[in-house]
Amino acid sequence: MKTFEERFTAWVDGQLTGRDLAEFEKDLANHPEVVAERAEARKLGDLLRAQPVPPLGNADFFSHQLMQLIAAETPRAAEPAKPRAWFWSLPRLAFAGAACLVVAGGLFKTLIPAAVSPGEKSKYYAQVVEAWPADPSISATTVYNSADNVTVVWLDGLPYIPATYALK
Amino acid sequence: MRRTAAFLVFAFAARALAVEGETAIATSGTSAAPAPKAAAVAAADKIWSAVVLATNSPAPKDAPPELREFAARLKRVFGYSQFELIGAAAEKIDEQNESWLVPSQSFWLSVKARRAMAKEARGGYLLNLQLYHDKRPLLETEAKLAPGSPLFIRGPEYGHGQLIIVLQVQR
Repeated sequence: MKTFEERFTAWVDGQLTGRDLAEFEKDLANHPEVVAERAEARKLGDLLRAQPVPPLGNADFFSHQLMQLIAAETPRAAEPAKPRAWFWSLPRLAFAGAACLVVAGGLFKTLIPAAVSPGEKSKYYAQVVEAWPADPSISATTVYNSADNVTVVWLDGLPYIPATYALK
Repeated sequence: MRRTAAFLVFAFAARALAVEGETAIATSGTSAAPAPKAAAVAAADKIWSAVVLATNSPAPKDAPPELREFAARLKRVFGYSQFELIGAAAEKIDEQNESWLVPSQSFWLSVKARRAMAKEARGGYLLNLQLYHDKRPLLETEAKLAPGSPLFIRGPEYGHGQLIIVLQVQR
């Protein structure tokens, strides 16, 4: 449904016809002042149309400037945010993987104990951290023999066991 | 998301290296059988103990096969010429539970083991050992043992000889 102002404008321009015109003219009974306004509007239109139109030298430039002014005054719609590129792109993943391999290799070499291969003489010898004899009469001494790669806990003060004692 | 990706990458890398390491350990051991997992390798480790009677004899007998790898060292360290195996016992190393070694009826060993993580330990164990003669405790000790590095305990004199307890981690 068009507003009264829209229909009025169309009526002034002579674009109302048929049923619309009849209905609008019925409404004019309630708005007697619009007849005078129509006369003034028509008079103004005729006056403008009677003026000579200056020649437009650079029509394209004019249109371009006009469009720019329109574009500048038209509020811009918010631009959709660009989707952020994924941080872990393939090259970065490859680089991270290589870095992890280097770190893991370093940890493996430094932390994981290596076994002694067959035939290789162990450079490691048993170490006695602490020794506590159960009886004060017993003493324990630790002896390292690096030449034989052997460690001995030497217990003194143990009671002699006669040969008659069954060991097995 | 980033952390997850980084974690996954690291986990894959660590897993790959762990498998490589396990294979290296398994193939460098004395056993020819393949051992696919480090847990299996660790489970195969044993603590071996023996009670040895060392004596001096004018006609010394050869050491029994179990003692051949130690015989020369035993001679040099203790000065005896003959070594007789009284008994031996081996137990799988169980890091969760205490193990008992009974190489002879008279001498027992209680062993609590945990794997030594230091690289210098060369895959060895930190052992808490308690040596008993019959029911009498003789010694408690903490020792680091690795394969190929035995520990000798000079025990009591017996008859004309000397009792020696030998301990070694076997792989």
